[in-house]
Amino acid sequence: MPYILCFTVNRFMSPIPLSYYLVVSTLIFFIGMLGVLTRRNVLIILMSIELMLNAANINFIVFSYYLNSLRGQIFVFFVMTVAAAEAAVGLAVIVYLFRNKNTVNDDEFSLMRW
Amino acid sequence: MLLVIIFTIFAAITIISAGMVAFSQNIVYSAFSLLFTFFGIAGLYVLLAADFLAATQLLIYVGGILVLLLFGVMLTHKIQEVNLSNESMRLAPAAIVVLAFLGLLSIAIYRTQWPTVPVPELTPTTARIGTLFMTDYLLPFEIASLVLLTALVGAVFIARGRVKK
Amino acid sequence: MNLNWTAILPEIFITLTALGVLGIDLFYTRYQKDKTLNAIVTLSGMGIAFLLLPFLSAKTQIFTSLFVLDPLAIFFKMVFLISGSMTALISINYLKMEGFDLGEYYGVLLFSILGMMVMASANDFILIYLGLELMTVSFYVLSGFFKTDLRSNEAALKYLILGGFASALFLYGISLLYGVTGSTEISYIAGYLTEQTRTGADSVAGVTSAVLSHPLLSLSLIMLLAGLCFKVAAVPFHMWTPDVYEGAPTSVTAFMSVGPKAAGFVVMLRVLLVALGALEKQWMVILAVISILTMTLGNIVAIAQQNVKRMLAYSSIAHAGYILLGIVASARVLTAGSASVVFYILSYAFMNLGAFTVLLALRKEDKQTGLMVPAMDLEDFSGLSKRDPLTAFLMLIFMFSLTGIPPTAGFVGKFYLFMSAVDANLVWLAVIGVINSAISAYYYLRILVYIYMKEPKVVQSVDNSSSLWVALYVMALATLLIGILPNLLFNVARASVVSLF
Repeated sequence: MPYILCFTVNRFMSPIPLSYYLVVSTLIFFIGMLGVLTRRNVLIILMSIELMLNAANINFIVFSYYLNSLRGQIFVFFVMTVAAAEAAVGLAVIVYLFRNKNTVNDDEFSLMRW
Repeated sequence: MLLVIIFTIFAAITIISAGMVAFSQNIVYSAFSLLFTFFGIAGLYVLLAADFLAATQLLIYVGGILVLLLFGVMLTHKIQEVNLSNESMRLAPAAIVVLAFLGLLSIAIYRTQWPTVPVPELTPTTARIGTLFMTDYLLPFEIASLVLLTALVGAVFIARGRVKK
Repeated sequence: MNLNWTAILPEIFITLTALGVLGIDLFYTRYQKDKTLNAIVTLSGMGIAFLLLPFLSAKTQIFTSLFVLDPLAIFFKMVFLISGSMTALISINYLKMEGFDLGEYYGVLLFSILGMMVMASANDFILIYLGLELMTVSFYVLSGFFKTDLRSNEAALKYLILGGFASALFLYGISLLYGVTGSTEISYIAGYLTEQTRTGADSVAGVTSAVLSHPLLSLSLIMLLAGLCFKVAAVPFHMWTPDVYEGAPTSVTAFMSVGPKAAGFVVMLRVLLVALGALEKQWMVILAVISILTMTLGNIVAIAQQNVKRMLAYSSIAHAGYILLGIVASARVLTAGSASVVFYILSYAFMNLGAFTVLLALRKEDKQTGLMVPAMDLEDFSGLSKRDPLTAFLMLIFMFSLTGIPPTAGFVGKFYLFMSAVDANLVWLAVIGVINSAISAYYYLRILVYIYMKEPKVVQSVDNSSSLWVALYVMALATLLIGILPNLLFNVARASVVSLF
């Protein structure tokens, strides 16, 4: 399957300028940033952080392609690992917070200034 | 030309759905838009000769992280409206800051003379990446496994039932 | 690939100990009444790793130069292991009293130390990122460790969200740097940028080359700085600090105010002074502004705090400002500046951990329930000298040291920092630092006023477990010894940074 894909791309397509990809990644990065800064829902904030990480990943892959080195791709693999780890811990905390919140008054929820 | 069209489609999917993730009022829409963002990004990876990572993107992000987030959405649907974010940051000032940054970055990208090296012939990367993990990048690979272990221990500890005092 | 395994022996030991603690807890300690075994295993593992460090040959690079073991890395690993073992010591009885005496605490604590050790040795952004995340993920768990306590939950969640945001900024900065320079390896980036400076200077006099004035390079610098400033709690990225410090378990807060901060600074030294050394004109200005804002805001807001834990959080922000001042100075006076930074970080580790330990040891009677609860407010300290003169005296040492009054470590540390700023022709920066220390005297000495000059208002008790007191004595002695014999340590600090350049 990958071979067929590579063959097709090599044969029929000419590469796209690097800056196109960078524009996409920049847009996604700032959409994510805006999401983190303006949204109030914790889960949406977590999703926006994932967007920002993905934007950085696109950059790594683009540069790795144009620099012809695999270092960027390897970095992306590690970023994915870490993102999964962070999401797991984040979800655990959110679930427990929700559980605790059910047992106490809603009024007392915001104990600390956010 | 064909590539430009494919690129445009993937880029459009990615950007529009990313916008939906961040700005949709319905959290379920956000979560499902994230699916399309991840998918579009995987498409971009294919165009950039990163076949292994495109597959990994789908497996880890869509199969793992997105499912986790969806579980989060379902388990905590009642706390949607709970105010947990930075209240001081209203949309207008945040938008100004972010757009200024965005403009700066876009100008920087356009003014740059990017190296237009002759792009290499595409070859499957999986085997090469695998070799690098077991040789040059062995240490980061092991550390990444410890990150996962820590997250596993921590997440299980935090999420499981109450401890008796 | 050069496989010199001995260079990562301490890391291997810490990993094995962490796995060992988790295993022993699962199969043995969990069923015992006395769970001290977990702490004993943890401490002995850290002790062995610590004793191994001096015997390793410095200046080794392994894993195709991803990992470097130079004197700076060894010094910082010692700082992490010392503060880690102090944290383990003070945690033993605290966890017991709070009902969370579990093996996971020590396992995750060890993993966080491992992350810091990796950061200290990293010569590549891949390893820096992974070490940083290992440390951060561990601290997400640790700060939420008292999971039945809503404050602890919220602290964990807040740290997670803002920490994830900062990591994303940091990562984007790395990706831009990778695009501009073509590598993620610190020594390679340093060489590449220096090369560009030289060729640029040759071609057109006075005009730097295209790469160095590259706007993307500046942007990546700003993003890297943002990520690191978050970790060390410097001003535009300090918002999480007071809430997370207040909500997290006190033993974790104590470690959090020292370990990740030191780890952030060692990465800052490597990234700014080595990798981006050619850009020093740019980052010097940014960092000078951040340093001034950090010191001033930290100190002024600390004055308004009634909660001692929160006050110490703001004080730790202010101390990050002093250390940043040293980094700014090291742009001009490399060795003296960075040596003073390294020296101050160790002194700060002892005095700040000490102050948090006294806070952790002190308990007061809750008027409604009659139970002993952790003391938090200034009022709870009043009259401590009459009830427990020894604890009061130790608090006096730590407060004097944090203020910078001789003969304590804090005084000498600040002296070296400000002197290096003067050497670097940054007298105005040193003056601002001195003014800030004077402001800080107000709230540090206010605690002492409560302790020595007021009558007790609540029923107090001090934790008298031997493990906690061993740690307290060690920290107080170290604070005094460094203050009396600073040259000894300063020579070590100087030797550790010389290898950087």
